[in-house]
Amino acid sequence: MTFNAFLSLLHGAGVTVSVSMAGIALGVPFGLVLALLRWRRVPLLAPLTTVYVSLLRSTPAVTLCLLIFFALPVIGIEIDALSAAIATLALNTAAFNCEIWRSGLTSFPREQVEAARTFGMSGTLIFRRIIFPQLWRTCLPALVNEMTLLIKSSTAIAVIGVAEITRAAIRIGAQTYDPLPPMLVATGIYVVLVLVFVGIQRLTERLYGQAGGAR
Amino acid sequence: MTEAATETRDPPVLEISGLTKTFGDRIVLDGVSLSVARGQTVCLLGPSGSGKSTLLRCVNWLETPDQGAIYLSGERMGIRKGGVVPMGNGELARLRMRMGTVFQHFNLWPHMSVLQNIIEAPIHVQKRRRDEVIAEAEALLENVGLSDKRDAFPSRLSGGQKQRVGIARALAMKPELLLFDEPTSALDPELVGEVIAVMKTLSQGGSTMLVVTHEMGFARETADKVVLMDAGRIVEEGEPEVFFGRPKTERARQFLQRYVSA
Amino acid sequence: MIRDVSLIWQNADRLLDGLTNTVILSLVGATLALVFGALVAIALMASNRAVRLTSRGLVDLMRCVPFLMLVYLVYYGLPRLGLRFDSWTAGLVAIVIYNTAYMAEIIRGIWSRLERETIEAGIAFGFHGWKLVARIVMPQIFLAAAPMIGNQLIQIIKDTAFLTIIAVPELTHAANSIQAQYFIPFATFLSAVLLYWALCMVVELGVFVVERIAEKRR
Ligand SMILES: Nc1ncnc2c1ncn2[C@@H]1O[C@H](COP(=O)(O)OP(=O)(O)O)[C@@H](O)[C@H]1O
Ligand SMILES: [Mg+2]
Repeated sequence: MTFNAFLSLLHGAGVTVSVSMAGIALGVPFGLVLALLRWRRVPLLAPLTTVYVSLLRSTPAVTLCLLIFFALPVIGIEIDALSAAIATLALNTAAFNCEIWRSGLTSFPREQVEAARTFGMSGTLIFRRIIFPQLWRTCLPALVNEMTLLIKSSTAIAVIGVAEITRAAIRIGAQTYDPLPPMLVATGIYVVLVLVFVGIQRLTERLYGQAGGAR
Repeated sequence: MTEAATETRDPPVLEISGLTKTFGDRIVLDGVSLSVARGQTVCLLGPSGSGKSTLLRCVNWLETPDQGAIYLSGERMGIRKGGVVPMGNGELARLRMRMGTVFQHFNLWPHMSVLQNIIEAPIHVQKRRRDEVIAEAEALLENVGLSDKRDAFPSRLSGGQKQRVGIARALAMKPELLLFDEPTSALDPELVGEVIAVMKTLSQGGSTMLVVTHEMGFARETADKVVLMDAGRIVEEGEPEVFFGRPKTERARQFLQRYVSA
Repeated sequence: MIRDVSLIWQNADRLLDGLTNTVILSLVGATLALVFGALVAIALMASNRAVRLTSRGLVDLMRCVPFLMLVYLVYYGLPRLGLRFDSWTAGLVAIVIYNTAYMAEIIRGIWSRLERETIEAGIAFGFHGWKLVARIVMPQIFLAAAPMIGNQLIQIIKDTAFLTIIAVPELTHAANSIQAQYFIPFATFLSAVLLYWALCMVVELGVFVVERIAEKRR
């Protein structure tokens, strides 16, 4: 395996990481919005969210990615492979993040909310000043755990030709007729990536205590 | 019953000699010697933490003693003939299946029904015939008054019922020796009687039993011999009339004062 | 839209063939992974330090690797070592290897939390070795593990979609080939998504039933 091949694997790793990060950056807040809709039992939207979460949790990322990439143009929304990839990961992880946020919300001590209300705080103020600062801490370990899973499922975007790690490895293997070395290097890169995330998760668990994952 | 045992030349069913066990630097058993003859019921008394459970666990070889020896009807437990090489799990199992143990917290297998709990070891450890074992198990359930709970699962039983199943499970092994570790301590007071009644019947029926208990009434009426343990040692042993009526040691008097109040 | 639906209806047998493959791959894969996972869990709980650390290392490594990477390793990598599978078998092998690690970890987790007492009762009644594990330990583990095993089965069902990349004729592959032929991506992939959804619902229903059975046995 040449140095150039190694560089293109690293480039693939860069794609994996940046697409995953974009998916996380969109999916974590979107998941919180979904969780709030369900938690506040917003009419119409809350049951829709329930369906969304159930549907997305049982949809393979590969299938979702194909759906987004091929179907959106048909209904008039042009989308390039990279955007489709990011949308796939964001929509997918949002469903799992919603469950994490929601379990944090439902286990949030009622007394604190009631106490805040006696001081005349409004609903949004209570959420911003009382609930959220504690909520994100309790949810963080589970959220990071979900990020680790997202990194692993991000390989799904290879199906629409995004040159992430696995696809880079396959291409190098096809060019050199020696698929094993680039695959082993790619595997090594993944191990490092996942270990970094597991490390972060351990750290957050130590700092903020444990919270169960949704998957 | 004691005379009957001394007349025969059989070795005692259980012979413990010079048993010592430490956990870390804590001496839990300190040279305990004790024997139970065929047909005898021996009650082991003593304050909590005195080492009674550990002694029973050593008899089962669930704990490995540091020193001393245990003989089951003359056969050395845990150590092969020659006295050095420790037994493998298979050899231990062959000795263990000759004893029946009744646990303080019942330890029934939760994934099996009452009947399955009773027939499990006779069929799969002792390799006895299934139909024969089931027939015996049903008779045992009848004896402990639980025929109607044959197909119930342990989680649906009261403590007293669980313990009676525990006893039936031990009896189904046709054991030479029955070991009881505080069989009524985890029960609500009103359920103690039903278990004690079963144990009395067993004792009178000639079973060989070593019973750790705080039920002084049971010990006084049923035991052939009472043994008092304290801090890992046997401090007094004797016939119940003597032990309860005219204890020889100061320690026994203190113990009785605390535990036999009314 | 009506044309889309009627085209899907005409090609329903292709989707169903795909679904059948997805179900077979998932069920066979999960069952084998559960069996091997139980064996690996025994290694994870072994008293021998070397056995324990080796199996721990392998399980942790497997859990760091994305499923697709393992599929590639089995399908493109193993032939270099003289092991050649067709794509369907390669997919199944990858599912089994990958999920053995996850099942082992599920079983070990529950095993280590299992109450020591019922196992000791087994030992006191003369159980040992294989029989102790098979009759006293494992049944309790499986009853407690049912929800987690169900979750893993859902994960496996979703992972089978990756196998379209090596052209295994599973559900997503069938959908993709239908949409490529008629250019009706929305209807086909949505049908596939709904079928996956239904499949996962069935698994969840199964878990619910097992839960009901397990409830009184713990
Ligand atoms: N596995 C163990 N490790 C360390 N200490 C133990 C263990 N088992 C028992 N002990 C200690 O041994 C002593 C005797 O315990 P035990 O035999 O259970 O007493 P008893 O049954 O008479 O109440 C206690 O102090 C207990 O803490
Ligand atoms: Mg005790």
